[in-house]
Amino acid sequence: MKGDYVGQSLVRLDAEDKVCGRATYPGDFEMEGMAWMKILYAGRPHARVRGVDCAKAEALPGVLAVLTSRDVPCNEYGLQYPDQPVLCGPCDKEGADEVRFVTDQVAAVIAETEAIAEQALGLIEVDYEDLPAIFDPRQALEPDAIRLHPAYPGTPIHPELVFEFNVASRHRIRRGDVESAFEQADVIVESEYEIPGQEHAFLQPEAGLGYLDEQGRITVIAAGQWAHEDRAQIAHAMALEPEKVRVVYPAIGGAFGGREDESVQILLALAAQKVERPVKIVWSREESIVARYKRHKVYARARWAARKDGTLLAAENHVVADAGAYVYTTNKVMGNLLLTCNGPYRIPNVKTDVLGVYTNNLPKGAFRGFGAPQGNFIAESQMNKLAEKLGLDPVELRMRNLINPGEPMPWGSELPDDARGLKDSLEAVAERLGWSRDESGYRAPAKAARAGDPPHIVRGVGLAIGHKNVGFSFGYQENAWAGMELRGRGDEPEEGLVFAASSDVGQGTRTVIRQMAAEALGLPVEKLRVEPTDTAITGSSGSCSASRMTFMIGNAVRGAAEAVLARWREGQRPARAEHTYLAPKTTQIDGQTGAGDPNFSYGYVAAGVELELDTELGTYRFPRVICANDVGQAINPRLVEGQVEGAVIQALGWVSSEHFIERDGVAQTTTLSTYLVPTIADIPGEIETILIENPEPHGPWGARGMGEMPFIVVAAAVQHALRQAAGKWVDDFPFTIERVLRALKQER
Amino acid sequence: MKREISFRVNGAEATAVAGGGDRLIDVLREGLGLTGTKEGCGEGECGACTVIVDGRAVNACLYPAAEIDGREVTTVEGLTGPDSTLGPIQRAFVECGAVQCGFCTPGMIMSTKALLDGNPDPSDEEVRDALLGNLCRCTGYVQIVEAVRRAAVAGRDR
Repeated sequence: MKGDYVGQSLVRLDAEDKVCGRATYPGDFEMEGMAWMKILYAGRPHARVRGVDCAKAEALPGVLAVLTSRDVPCNEYGLQYPDQPVLCGPCDKEGADEVRFVTDQVAAVIAETEAIAEQALGLIEVDYEDLPAIFDPRQALEPDAIRLHPAYPGTPIHPELVFEFNVASRHRIRRGDVESAFEQADVIVESEYEIPGQEHAFLQPEAGLGYLDEQGRITVIAAGQWAHEDRAQIAHAMALEPEKVRVVYPAIGGAFGGREDESVQILLALAAQKVERPVKIVWSREESIVARYKRHKVYARARWAARKDGTLLAAENHVVADAGAYVYTTNKVMGNLLLTCNGPYRIPNVKTDVLGVYTNNLPKGAFRGFGAPQGNFIAESQMNKLAEKLGLDPVELRMRNLINPGEPMPWGSELPDDARGLKDSLEAVAERLGWSRDESGYRAPAKAARAGDPPHIVRGVGLAIGHKNVGFSFGYQENAWAGMELRGRGDEPEEGLVFAASSDVGQGTRTVIRQMAAEALGLPVEKLRVEPTDTAITGSSGSCSASRMTFMIGNAVRGAAEAVLARWREGQRPARAEHTYLAPKTTQIDGQTGAGDPNFSYGYVAAGVELELDTELGTYRFPRVICANDVGQAINPRLVEGQVEGAVIQALGWVSSEHFIERDGVAQTTTLSTYLVPTIADIPGEIETILIENPEPHGPWGARGMGEMPFIVVAAAVQHALRQAAGKWVDDFPFTIERVLRALKQER
Repeated sequence: MKREISFRVNGAEATAVAGGGDRLIDVLREGLGLTGTKEGCGEGECGACTVIVDGRAVNACLYPAAEIDGREVTTVEGLTGPDSTLGPIQRAFVECGAVQCGFCTPGMIMSTKALLDGNPDPSDEEVRDALLGNLCRCTGYVQIVEAVRRAAVAGRDR
């Protein structure tokens, strides 16, 4: 539903500050009397810390303090479950004296300058007892493997967190009878996939400033995705009331899920309290890469069955994911993998097992798509292979099997009535790629070499479709807070303030909030100001993740606008109101069968790629990539297009050049010269974005979440295109030159 | 050995004490408070710290501070006109949606400036070559390319 402001491509609020260099990021702050902090990392994948001797470091002139495990009142943290020590070492908490990955943190030095802090790190003497380590999650499941975490009591709010031996999380779907379905099958496709991890590589390395504000509150300026969660975790580790802690978000240099868990926040708060001075930290690029969680690497076995006419009979998926050393959001990421790895298809018999497994590798966690990219790759690769084996067109096969709105998904809940986007996005992509349709169904364009192509240039076309949930799911009561204040003396408000704790990680959430507030209030957008994300002045609007923020905050803004306008009309000056939006309820899913109603909304998406392969060099490029995404209603189409383009390129990087390598728990790709994110020279010749707008009934003005969706379908589409060009299905990526050449060689 | 150097930054005279391994980016950010120049990697890979020295785009994280003695340095802060009016490249980046998180933006704009100053009508390939050393993780570059083209047209029309 377009309006005066909704549906308009207004310029971002912060664009002018950013192009002038005026926008301040966490590393840009300076304060009077400011000290610096550096962190000591363990440098070994698994060890017991018997003792930490800081005497020499503390004696170095210019050192103000050294923090160790005993300085942390409650030495644990974690977004889903507090299984990680803030600082590893002896203390009251069982298991906190263990280092479980190479960049687990052991101590922090606070000094007058960064150089002194750095120098002091080398003077800290740590007594380690090295322990055996596990780097392959499949080995961690062996009965004789060592156990990496003490037994936990479990938590009723996350029943999938099982803490059985090294299994951190377990998800299952059981539907029908897979074994007898395989006996009736005409065609079976079996595959083993190795789906890689990924480094977020946002441009702004972690940084921040901790200080005591004018009210004595411990205040942290840092880049995160959920200010109130940062505050809660700082308060938990410091054993303080949350109100004693304040978190402020300045300009944030990208996130993509990589700022969802804590990085420098807790230590900055501890340091500021300890030395009672402002304390600053800026991570190097290497720290940003080696000391943070990544996308989950996944090992999967898939076995799918169909009848000759393409009717899907059964899908069996067994997935083992490397959770790394701590759980972070693994349990929820695996939940989304579970709900996407069978695709949006009508499959009467489903057996799915998804395990998140502890190892001594870097922790794995949230990254754009949150399990859906891995799940979607499994489903869509299986579908493309089935189409080939059946001799059916891949679009036709999908059309015959897509779940219709109102029909049950593998976990039993119905596909919502507004799910036309699945079909619409597939149709849009197929049409742009040259598919035709007659009474026998969809037909791919004839494969013809392009005039002028030398013999070593071959081409392929691939596609995939997908769905992903919007918002926190699995029984969590989704909520978001917004506040408003209208000022003025007369009948018409002269100025409006909008309060929201939404993290602007680059997606433009504050710009969109202002547009939606202007629409809801019926006021010119120029009269509205969006106040900073600061826990001292806002309630919690939840995390900028799960493609949820526009959906959730838009509804909160609508509620707050209605309430504040009522007060304005009653004569309140200034008029103030706030509103907490509660999304439709979801439920946990059954631990044995997966049955439940875990989501309240979905986004739908399709991608098509044209690939051009040089069979002599093994290099390839993408002359054209098309992405069709049902966004419900684009609040700001220009920003939405930017999200689609950015997601597609980030996904192309994951599939082609980004190769995150860990060896014995140590990251090997520790710089941007070895971990290769796409440059301007790597982008497709043409990238076409198609925005489909089937309104989401619960979404503000019909908007649905979209920030992750374009990412999730790209990998399977590229694999499909590469199969046609190279003659082989390559089931592990990134599709490096070596892998492509190997495939070509095997084919010949 | 450290010594006093004098140079011009964004048209104004400046001095600093620099030597040895001191980097230009630290002189700009810490010495002069010009925090518009960003450090993304410290090894010349990401281009977030791009500034212009005597007409040439350089990575301020690699450029030795002592080398700017007697030279002219332009940072992103120097592209804004009197009364904070945006320069044509800045305006094009704003209008085309070329800015998301914005951390790469100052460097991206400085590389564009160096390109267009020397070549007001660049081909697609020349744009690509000029921005090859500037990483952006948010936009997928599409709207950045659009902005560079628009800035080039705006520059020629003047």
